[in-house]
Amino acid sequence: MGLLEHKFQDNVVVASMDKLLGWARSTSPWFFQFGLACCAIEMMATAASRHDLMRIGMIPRSSPRQADVMIVAGTVTMKMALRVKKLYEQMADPKYVISMGSCATSGGPYWQYGYHVLKGVDLVVPVDVYVPGCPPRPEALIEGLLKLQEKIQAERPLTKKIA
Amino acid sequence: MTSDQDTFIADAVEKALAGDMDAINSIEDRSIRGKAKAALVKAKRAAKAEQKSESSEESQGGGTPEEKVVQSSLSALLSSVYPDEIIEILNEGKVVQLKPQKWNEIATFFRDHADALLDQLECLTGVDLGTEEPLQVRYNLHSMKHRHKIEILINADRVKPEIPTVETIWRMADWFEREVYDMYGIVFTDHRDLRRLLCPEDWEGWPLRKDYEEQESYHGIVVPKVKEGWE
Repeated sequence: MGLLEHKFQDNVVVASMDKLLGWARSTSPWFFQFGLACCAIEMMATAASRHDLMRIGMIPRSSPRQADVMIVAGTVTMKMALRVKKLYEQMADPKYVISMGSCATSGGPYWQYGYHVLKGVDLVVPVDVYVPGCPPRPEALIEGLLKLQEKIQAERPLTKKIA
Repeated sequence: MTSDQDTFIADAVEKALAGDMDAINSIEDRSIRGKAKAALVKAKRAAKAEQKSESSEESQGGGTPEEKVVQSSLSALLSSVYPDEIIEILNEGKVVQLKPQKWNEIATFFRDHADALLDQLECLTGVDLGTEEPLQVRYNLHSMKHRHKIEILINADRVKPEIPTVETIWRMADWFEREVYDMYGIVFTDHRDLRRLLCPEDWEGWPLRKDYEEQESYHGIVVPKVKEGWE
């Protein structure tokens, strides 16, 4: 703790439980790597040393059971769509989905004639953040992840909802 | 460089080209020896290039003469052994259209006959020529030993497309045939494992046919057909 070491008496931090939970959740959203096409390369670049996702608390996981965020990076075919859904269902709550790139968002270049491409991953799983681009640059993906962190931070999981 | 040296080097190179390498190797001055060797390489290269241009002039008009003979001999071999099976010989014998009935037997013959030895199936493609035309399968065969090639075409009926498999003859054909089955619905009879290769197994229709229509939904997932205003 360097500078702050041995400078204080016993002390207490006062915060609302919701904010504390939001802070904890938003600063360590481990992501489930779902690289399906060329977007996966950008996702890898984002996680690698130059852009270093670790600094915003994100670690790539290969198992849906250890992950909080699913980054769907790439073209989702009909065959894959069923698997995407199944893997999403295996993630533990709270869970979030980022749709990365044109293909995952809307089918992208396969919109008109791609007979076997899912026209948007939001047809099978609920999406929290859409990142546009073909493929999006790592900066764009990081922007999307920061937006997601804002969203998680603003959640109030303990507060009673007024109907 | 003096002209004296020039003539000396030219002399040495001439001797070396005639087969006497000592003429260069015995030069004592290192720089002159180096120059002489460089000149020798240059002279040899020029001689080679000249030779090449001469030979290419002789064989103008597509391929070396040797290749041409082999090409026509493959289709000639086929027409001498299976004259009834050939429908048409196209493109100077490089492409042969066959009837499907005896294809398996012909393929074995092609692979094993000493003058053919077509041991490699380079490619197997399905073609849809149009809704009024039959479906077609094209086989590109190549021989590692004789270095010759031939292309075989076989037409298949549009309503009930069936062609004997060559999967047991060239193992390569296994996935090729599965792909063609997946995309065109051509059934390769007696194939040991004829399933779809790329599409899901419960997919409907044959995507690369000209008259293909997408299915309405897949496992409850909507496939939007009208793309305008669907957002």
